Amino acid sequence: MSLNNLIKNWTSFRSRRPYLDQYKNADYKWAMVIDLDACTGCNACTTACYAENNLPVVGKERYEKGHAMHWLRIERYWGEGESVPVDMVPDRGAQFLPMMCQQCEAAPCEVVCPVGATHHSADGLNTQVYNRCVGSRYCSANCPYKVRYFNWWQYADTAWPNPLELQLNPDVSVRSKGVMEKCTFCVQRLRESMDHAKTDGRLVRDGEVTTACAQACPTSAITFGNLANPQSQVAKKWKNQQIALEKDEQKKDENLRGYRIFEEFRTYPSVVYLERVRDLEA
Amino acid sequence: MPVKKQESIDTGERAMAAEKRPIVERRDFLKILGISGAAATLAGCGNTSIESGVEKVQSYVQPEDFVVPGNSVFYASTCTQCPSHCGVMGRVREGRVLKLEGNPNSIISNGKICGLGQASIQLQYNPDRLTTPMIREGGKLVTASWDQAMKIVNDGLGKDSRIKGNEIVFLTNSVSGHQKVLINNFLESYDSKNHIAYDSLSTQVGDQVRENIYGYTNPVHKIKEARLILSFGNDFLGAGVSPVYLANQYAQFRKAPRGTLIQIEPRMTLTGGNADRWYPIRPGTEGVFALGLANALIQHPEYDTTLPTELTESLKAYDKYTVGQITGINPDAIGHLIAMMWEKTPTLVLSGLSAEGHQQGYQNAYAIELLNVILGNVGKTVTAPMENPFPQMTHVNGNYQGLVALNNQLDAKNVKVLFMMGVNPVYTAPAFIELKNKLSNVPLKIAMVTQLDETAELCDVVLPLLSPVEEFGTHLASYQPEAIEIGIQQPLMEKLHAHTKSFGDVLLTLLKERDEKSYSKYPDYYSYIREAVVKSKPVFKSTLSDDDFWDSALMNGVLHVPLKEAQIDKVKIESVNLPKVETHPEDVNYPFYFVPSVKADMRDGRHANLPWLQESPDPMTTVVWDSWVEINPKTAQDMQVREGDILEIKSSMGSVLAKAYLFPGIQPNTVSIPFGQGHTAYGRYASNRGVNPFKIINPITDEKTGELALFATRVQVTKTALNEKVVKDEGPTTLQQGRKLVATMAADKAELSKEV
Amino acid sequence: MSHMIKHDVPDDNEIHIEKKFVPKDLDIDKDVSWAQINKDVLRSLDRPRPIFWVIFFAAMALFSFGVYCEKYQYDNGLGVADLNNPQVWGLYIATFIFWIGMGHSGTLLSALLHIIHADWRKPIYRYAEAMTTFSLLTAALFVLIHLGRVWQFYYVVAYPNERWVWPNFSSPLVWDATAIGTYLTSSLLFLYTGMVPDLAICRDNATGARKKLYTFMSLGWQGTDRQWATFRVTYMTLACFLMPLAVSVHSIVSTDFAVSQNPGWHITSFPPYFVAGALYSGCSVIITLFILLRYVFRFEAYMTMPILNKLIKMTFAIAMVWNYLNLIEYSTVWYGANEIAKQQLLDKMTGTYAPVFWGMVFCSTVMPFTLLIKFVRTHLPTLMVVSIILNFGMWLERIQIITPTFGHSQYPWTWTSGWWPSWVQFGIVAGSFGWFTMLFMLYCKIFPTISMYEVKEMVHDQSKMLKAKGVA
Repeated sequence: MSLNNLIKNWTSFRSRRPYLDQYKNADYKWAMVIDLDACTGCNACTTACYAENNLPVVGKERYEKGHAMHWLRIERYWGEGESVPVDMVPDRGAQFLPMMCQQCEAAPCEVVCPVGATHHSADGLNTQVYNRCVGSRYCSANCPYKVRYFNWWQYADTAWPNPLELQLNPDVSVRSKGVMEKCTFCVQRLRESMDHAKTDGRLVRDGEVTTACAQACPTSAITFGNLANPQSQVAKKWKNQQIALEKDEQKKDENLRGYRIFEEFRTYPSVVYLERVRDLEA
Repeated sequence: MPVKKQESIDTGERAMAAEKRPIVERRDFLKILGISGAAATLAGCGNTSIESGVEKVQSYVQPEDFVVPGNSVFYASTCTQCPSHCGVMGRVREGRVLKLEGNPNSIISNGKICGLGQASIQLQYNPDRLTTPMIREGGKLVTASWDQAMKIVNDGLGKDSRIKGNEIVFLTNSVSGHQKVLINNFLESYDSKNHIAYDSLSTQVGDQVRENIYGYTNPVHKIKEARLILSFGNDFLGAGVSPVYLANQYAQFRKAPRGTLIQIEPRMTLTGGNADRWYPIRPGTEGVFALGLANALIQHPEYDTTLPTELTESLKAYDKYTVGQITGINPDAIGHLIAMMWEKTPTLVLSGLSAEGHQQGYQNAYAIELLNVILGNVGKTVTAPMENPFPQMTHVNGNYQGLVALNNQLDAKNVKVLFMMGVNPVYTAPAFIELKNKLSNVPLKIAMVTQLDETAELCDVVLPLLSPVEEFGTHLASYQPEAIEIGIQQPLMEKLHAHTKSFGDVLLTLLKERDEKSYSKYPDYYSYIREAVVKSKPVFKSTLSDDDFWDSALMNGVLHVPLKEAQIDKVKIESVNLPKVETHPEDVNYPFYFVPSVKADMRDGRHANLPWLQESPDPMTTVVWDSWVEINPKTAQDMQVREGDILEIKSSMGSVLAKAYLFPGIQPNTVSIPFGQGHTAYGRYASNRGVNPFKIINPITDEKTGELALFATRVQVTKTALNEKVVKDEGPTTLQQGRKLVATMAADKAELSKEV
Repeated sequence: MSHMIKHDVPDDNEIHIEKKFVPKDLDIDKDVSWAQINKDVLRSLDRPRPIFWVIFFAAMALFSFGVYCEKYQYDNGLGVADLNNPQVWGLYIATFIFWIGMGHSGTLLSALLHIIHADWRKPIYRYAEAMTTFSLLTAALFVLIHLGRVWQFYYVVAYPNERWVWPNFSSPLVWDATAIGTYLTSSLLFLYTGMVPDLAICRDNATGARKKLYTFMSLGWQGTDRQWATFRVTYMTLACFLMPLAVSVHSIVSTDFAVSQNPGWHITSFPPYFVAGALYSGCSVIITLFILLRYVFRFEAYMTMPILNKLIKMTFAIAMVWNYLNLIEYSTVWYGANEIAKQQLLDKMTGTYAPVFWGMVFCSTVMPFTLLIKFVRTHLPTLMVVSIILNFGMWLERIQIITPTFGHSQYPWTWTSGWWPSWVQFGIVAGSFGWFTMLFMLYCKIFPTISMYEVKEMVHDQSKMLKAKGVA
C-alpha cells in the first residue's frame, strides 16, 4: 500500500463495524454454530485442534504457569451467578462451553495491533500473520474472550521430541517464540478448498470443507460453513435463530436458542451458540 | 457389494478426495505394501532415513504413483484404541500419517472420532517407542536382534523344552478378529486353551445380567428412540462401551422431541454432567433405589404383570422411605421419577460401572435391568444385536476373571511360558494380588508391546510391535448396534522403525514352527488376512472379483454383514438375591467411600503415554497431567481442606497421596481418584505422574460373578501439611459471574422442532 | 554583590516602595558572585564526593544484572518472565508507564515554568530535563523488552519499505511509538539548546578531550547579542512546542488502556489522570534527585531550601489533583451502569491484588500529607525517604492498573489469582533503575547540572528586585 493509496482508501482501511450488506455480494463469509445442548464436553474437538493445527503440548510445569496453547478450550461452569453455597448440588449437570476465537467482525484485537499482524480477511476471518507479529500482546489484552495464545517459549524445541515431529501438519506453520496465535477456523482447509473450487470455476459447496473440531465432534454440535451462501446449513441456522451478523442487539423470539457471547461489546462475533436445554421438570 | 453407504455431508472434501482417487493408484500402493512387505519403502520416509536418524532432505525427483507432493490421501482403517473399534480415515501426506478422522462408512463412528482415537498418531510417533527386541541378560533387559529374541521364545516352546500345552498362557486384553483367531490357532497347536482376556475395567457384571435376562451380553440400547433415559452411573458419553456411536445417538436423542436424561451416581461422570437431573446416591445402593422404583412402578395402573409374583412380593420391602434412607436420595424423588417414566415412553434404563462394581453388583445390575422389563422397554429400546456369522472373530470381552485365572495358574506354578499382549497387569492388578512377585516364578515371560510398560520391564523377552496405524487387522467391536461391522485395519504408512513387527507376523512365525504345512502359504500376516477376508466373500453376497472385493474392503474400511435384526425372544426373570435393604454400616476406621473415576481418554492407564491426552483437561475438573482427589466442598470445609492440600487416602490395602480438588459433583462422604496415572514406567509422558488407585482397591468381589468390586473400597482421608498447586485449566472461579456465557433454556420453552 | 555585574544593573530604577521590604527566604544567596557560580558548577564536572562513585558503580551492577536478565529472556522467550495468557504485560508495561510518567515533570519544570517566568526553576530545571530525557530512554527500552520478537521492533515504525506495509495507524501502540519518539527528540533538543551557553563556559575552562567535546557541542557560542537574541527566541519557541507535547504523550499512553474494552481501563478520564500521575511521580523524583545532587555535588548554595519548599508545594498540589482524578475514576465506575467494571473495581480493592491497591493508597494518597509537616519538608533524609515512597506508590499505581484488570477481565474462565512476576521481571525492572541512574550520573559528570547563565540571571534579577525594594 503506497502512501497515496493509503490516503485514498482511508475509509476502507479503517476497521469499522460490519455494515448491513457487507457480505451481500461476497462469495464467502465463514461462520459457525455451536449447539450447547448437543455438546457433551468430551474434548474430541480440542484434540482434533491439536492434531490439525500443530499445537504444542506444553507439559505440566508450563501449563501450571498459564502457558497452555489450546486454541479451543472447553470451559466447565457450575452456575451463572457470582457465588454459590458450599453445599450446592449440581443437580442440573455442568455447563460446558467450547470457546475459541469468535472471528469477530469488529474485532477488538484488530484495531490495536500496532503492525496489522491481525486483520480481517475478505472472507470474514480474523487472520493472524505470524511473520508480521512483533509480539506486543496488545491483541490478547484487548480480546474480551481471551482466546489468543502467545508463544511464551520456543515450543518447537521441546514439544515434539523426535520422531513426534513427524505428526506435524505440513499445511500449518510451527510458530516461533514471541508471536501470538489463535483459532484460525482451520484456514488451511478453507484455502485449499477455495482453491479447488476456483480451479473448477465454482464456489465451495456446503459441507465440502469443515473445521477439524466440527469434523471430529461426535455429537455434531458444531456446524461450520459459509454464511454468504443462503443455502448453507450455517446460514439457515443463523436465519432460523433470527441472528443477523451486523446487529449487536438481536430482536428475536423468546423461544429461540441462538445468541452470541458478549454481543453488547459490539464485537459482532461469527460464532452463534445455541442455548443449553434442560428439562427443569425432571 | 452390499455395503451400507452412509450419506454424510459433514465429511468434507477429504473423504471425497479419497474416493475420487483412481483405484489403480490405490491398488499399486497396496501391492507394494503387500508383496514387498517390510522391505518396501515409501518415498516419504524411506529416502529421508528416518529410521537411521540421519536427516536428509531430498526432493521428489520421481515420486511413487500414489504420492503427490502436497496432496493428502485418505485411507480407511479401524481404530484400536478402545473396544468400540470405530472406522477411521487416516490423512496421509508424503508417506506419513498426519491425522485421523472418522470414517463416514462406519456405522460406529459415523464419520466422527473421539480424542482418544486421534491420539493413535502419537502412539505411532511416540519418542519412547520400543524399536528393537529386548531380552533379559544378567537380570537386565538388553537390546537384541529378532533372531536372538525368537530363539529364546522357540527354545521355550520347542520340543526340547517338553512343554505341555496347558503350561502356555496367552494373556491379552479384549481382542477380536483375526488377532483372536491367530491366538487361538497358536494355542490350539499346543492343545492349550489358556487364552486369558483380562480387562481391568470390565463390564462383566452387567454383561452377565443381560446374558441371563435377555440371552445377549450386549443388547442394543436404542438411546435415540428413548424419551427418557435413566442411567445408574453408566458413562456412555465418556468411557462407555462405544463413546462415539453413543454420543451420536445421544445428540439425536436430544433433538425434538427432546429426550430427558436422568443420571444417578455417587460421582458425576461426563454423562452425569450432561444430565437434565443428576442425583447423587450413596455408593452401592443403586440396586436398592432401582427396586424402590420398581416397587412404585408395579403399583401403577399401566403396569401389566411381567414379573413373577414371588418377586413382586419381595419388592414390597422397598418402600420409598426405606429406600430414601438407604440411598440418601429424597424419597419424593421416586414418585417424581415414576410419573415421568410412565409419561415419557419409551424409556431406557442403563446400569453402569459404578452401580456394578460392588459386592452386590450383580444384584444391583439385575435390579436396574428389571426396570427395563417392567417398563416394557424390551423390544423397543432394548433390542437384540445382529446375528454374527463369524463367531470365531467375535469380540472377547476381557474381565477380572482373567486375572483370577492367571493368578490361580501362577499359584499352582503351572505357567511355563506366558505371552502378554495389550495388557499391563503389573500396573492394573490390585495390590493384594501381588502379581509382581508371582510373575517372577514364570520361567519365560514374553511381552509384545509398542512401548516398555511396567509389565514388559519384568519380562524375559520383549517384542516391539507395529503401532496400530502401521498394521493390518480385522476387528469386531464388542458393541454392534445396527449391523455387524467388521473393521478393516490397514497400514496408513510404512513402518517407522525397521525392527518392529506386526503381532500377526510374530504369531505366524510361531505357528510355522509348529505347522509348517498349513501356514507356509502365507508369507506374512497381510496375505493371511487378505485370504481370510476374501474367503468370506460369500457371506457378503459379493459379485466382485477377489482383488476388487479386497480393494473395496480396504477402501471402505468396513464390511457390513447383511443380516436381519434378531429379536429378544424371551425375557427370563429368575428369582435372584435382591440387593439388601439394610442401611450401610458405618465404618469407623474407613469412613469414606472410594469411588475411582474412569476418564474417557486414560481408561485404565493404557493411554497415559500419549501427550495430547495428558494435556487434554479432564472435562469435569479440567485438571491436566496429574492425579487428584475429588472431595465435596462441604466435606472439605468441615475438614478444613483447601484445593491443593495433599490428602492421604488410605484403604486397608494401602494408601496414596494426592492433591485435593473441591468438586461439587460428588457425594459428601465419598472421595474419588481417576484411574490412569501413577505409572512407574511407560515412557516420559506417563511415568512418575500422579498415583495409581488400583493399588488401594480392597479385595472385595461381586458375589455372583467374582468380578472385582472396583467401587466398593472404603477409605480414610487424612489431611497432610503439604499443599501443591493443582494444575488445571479453570481459573479461581467456576461460575459465569453474571455473564451470558452458557445460557440455559427450559425444555418446555425451547421449540426444538422448529429448528433447522 | 559582586562588582562584575555592576555595569549591567540599570541605575535608573523608578520603583519606590514605601514600606521597607524584608526578604524572608531568598531563593538563592544574594551575595554569590558570578565567578563563584562558574567555579561551583564546573567543580561538579571535576571531582564529586566519593558517594558519587558508590552510587555509580551500584547502578552499573544493577544494570549489568538487568542486561543478564534480558539476555536470558531474549534467548528463552518471555515465558521466563512468568507472564501468561491473561497476564500478558506484567511489570514491563507498568514500569514503562512509570518511566514515561517520570519524564513529564522535567518538561513541566523547564518549559511551563519558563513560559510563566517562575524564576525559582532556574537552578534545578537542567537536571530535571536530563532526567526527562533519560527516563524516556528507559521507557523506550521497556517497549522493546516486552516485545515477543524484539528483533522485529521496526515493524511498528512507519518507514517506507519494499512492500509498502504500514503499521496499523489505528493502534494506540503506534501512537505511542510516534508520541514518545517525538517527545524524546524534542526533549533532547530542548535540553541541548538550553545547555549551549553553559557548554561555552565549560569549553573556556576545559582542556584536552573535554575541550574538544565542549568546543564541538557549544556550536561556536560567543555570547554576542545576536546569538543571545536568537537563543532566547528558539528556546521560548521550543518550550511552547514542548508543553502541549508533554501533555499529549501521557494522554496517548493512557489511550493504550482507555481505548481498549477491558473493565478498569475503559474510562474517559484516563488521559488527565495519567498526566496528573505522571507529573506527580516526576515531581517526587525531582525532589529525590534534588537532595541527592545537592549533597553529592555540594550544591547547597544553589539548590536551596526555599526552592525545595516551592517544589514540595507544587508536588503536593499535583498529588491532590491526582487524588481527585483517582476519585473521579472510581466514582464514575461505581455509579456507572457497567456491572463488569464495578465487579472489577471491587475485586481491585478486595481481591487477590488488594495489597497493591492499598499499598498505592498508602504511598500516594496518605503519604503526601506528611509534606504538610515542617520537619518533613526541612529534614532532608526524611524528605528523601518520603519522596521515594511517593514514587514507589506511583509505581504500584501502574501495577494496579494493569494486573488486576488482566486478573479479573470480562472473561471469568481466565481470571487469575495470586499472579506473581518472576525474578527475571524484577531483575529487568531493577536493571532499568540502574541504567537510568548510570546515565544520569554520567551526565552529571560531563555536563553542567545547573544552568550557570540562568542562575546568574537569577542572582541579577534578585539583586535588582532587592535594590528596588531598598534592601540591598
